[in-house]
Amino acid sequence: VKIVVCVKQVPATGAEKRYTDDYRLDRAGVEAIINPLDEYAVEQALRLVDSGAAETVTYLSMGPEQAAEALRRALAMGGDDAVLVTDPALVGADEWATARVLAAALDRLAPDVALMGMASDDGRGSLVPGAVAAKRGVPLLSYGAELTLADGKARIRRLSAAGFDWLEAPLPVVATVTDQVGEPRYASLKGIMAAKRKPLETWSLADLGLDAGGLRGAALTRVTDARAPDPKPPTERIENVPAPEAAARIADWLAARKLI
Amino acid sequence: MARDVLFLAEFTGGIATRSALELATGASELASAAGGAAVGLAYGSGAAAGAASLGAQGAARVIVLGDEDRPAITYASQAAAAVGGADALALLAPATPNGRDIAAALVGLLDLPAFGPVRAVRAVDGTIEAEQATLQGSVITTSRPADGAPTPAVVLVLPNTFTPAEGRSGTADVSRADGSESSPFASVTVAESHPADARVANLDEATVIVAGGRGVGGEAGFETLRELAEVLGGAVGASRAAADAGWIAYQLQIGQTGKVVKPQLYIAAGISGAIQHRVGMQTAENVVAINRDPDAPIGEFADLYVVGDLFQIVPALTDEIRRRKSG
Repeated sequence: VKIVVCVKQVPATGAEKRYTDDYRLDRAGVEAIINPLDEYAVEQALRLVDSGAAETVTYLSMGPEQAAEALRRALAMGGDDAVLVTDPALVGADEWATARVLAAALDRLAPDVALMGMASDDGRGSLVPGAVAAKRGVPLLSYGAELTLADGKARIRRLSAAGFDWLEAPLPVVATVTDQVGEPRYASLKGIMAAKRKPLETWSLADLGLDAGGLRGAALTRVTDARAPDPKPPTERIENVPAPEAAARIADWLAARKLI
Repeated sequence: MARDVLFLAEFTGGIATRSALELATGASELASAAGGAAVGLAYGSGAAAGAASLGAQGAARVIVLGDEDRPAITYASQAAAAVGGADALALLAPATPNGRDIAAALVGLLDLPAFGPVRAVRAVDGTIEAEQATLQGSVITTSRPADGAPTPAVVLVLPNTFTPAEGRSGTADVSRADGSESSPFASVTVAESHPADARVANLDEATVIVAGGRGVGGEAGFETLRELAEVLGGAVGASRAAADAGWIAYQLQIGQTGKVVKPQLYIAAGISGAIQHRVGMQTAENVVAINRDPDAPIGEFADLYVVGDLFQIVPALTDEIRRRKSG
């Protein structure tokens, strides 16, 4: 069984973020990390290799050239090799364009499982995995708290309304996992050294047989405005008062807003 | 020109989910602004029986994708057939795992522009305009479909963005969707089902949420929060720390990897307010934080910050509200 884990490079969680004049995220000078939720997908893939349920793990990313750092970081945790799809025509790619490009790269890599994190830190709708599955014509198993592989099938444990289900589909699949799969392993020094020698290929759109024109400027959407959130009224505080008085003042506050 | 507005409507046991009622109302508002009709795409157990009732929220027609209790994603090809056969401006989908699964499949199958999760959506200039909080709430963006982009635009909508219309009557015309049963998505099956805690409320339906974090200390502490939630007619939620500790079901976790909620009132007790929690509740209308720490990060986005012991303040507040209600 061959697994491809898709990883995305995102701005660091606490970093100051800005938009460019054409409303793209300005990545210059912003510390970049591997999307934290993608690390759970990496961990899940490596556990499947550890248990013997899978043989190889390849990482796939789409992004600027520096996104190779995220791939090296994943390779330091484990796995075999990596592919970066990078092309000037992909600047500002939306979810549709991203899905198209990843699907084309996955067609070429032909994994049994394309594994992704459940959401991206800088992202929006968590729509890329399902759109990739649609483009490739394979089933989608999403939001797994655990992924298992056996007998040519993949299973995920997914929360239901009150409990959980095991959802199943025949390979190949696109799957996403949550942060419940277990804490991602740390990259050891040995792992970091080994990662430097692991193969990392760079593919362009032309390598994938995709035409930039067909990607319609890499987006079916356009941002027309970006602004800071409306300033919030100052926080009112209640402190240094006994609990019954605090309770009465909270109730007054709620009543004034017709919340009780 | 495309004017109709589609919406996904999930049913369980013949009852429309809260998101279906909200989106029916929202689609109806957008459709009247655009000069078209609201059209539901219904799925889930009892969808066929319940579909017509969405007329009360303004749906003119409802297309039933299927009415079995099976994974939502298995309805994707029927949804694509229905969407492809309509000439719609937008499709509203709930920003839930099931809603996202179907929406994502539609984006891939039909090459559609996608937006969201949005906190507001408007019909303007013959297209739609979506407003969303991005980069963990630090930026509010407004977006539109690119010129010449295919329709409908797929819009993920946060819960409580629209308020379900009440007191209206109306019956929607109901029809059945076509669609291949042999699509790849239809091969997803439920291998095992483990229904559990009947007390797990549906946070998507709650307009008041009392959420607890690490400071709640254990299951007993959550009982205290549950009593407050009860007098407020709301539901209990939790931070990831509390869910990871096993004090409460993961279904009630709010945050980046749990539910994204937008209640009228959010009371955060013993929650420090990490950014991952914040992205799950930042669009709540009113936020009250109760915390022992006078400088917890949640103070930055609470409207009312109460410094003190939640084990004293929460029961006192429960009593106070109960007293005022009976008074």
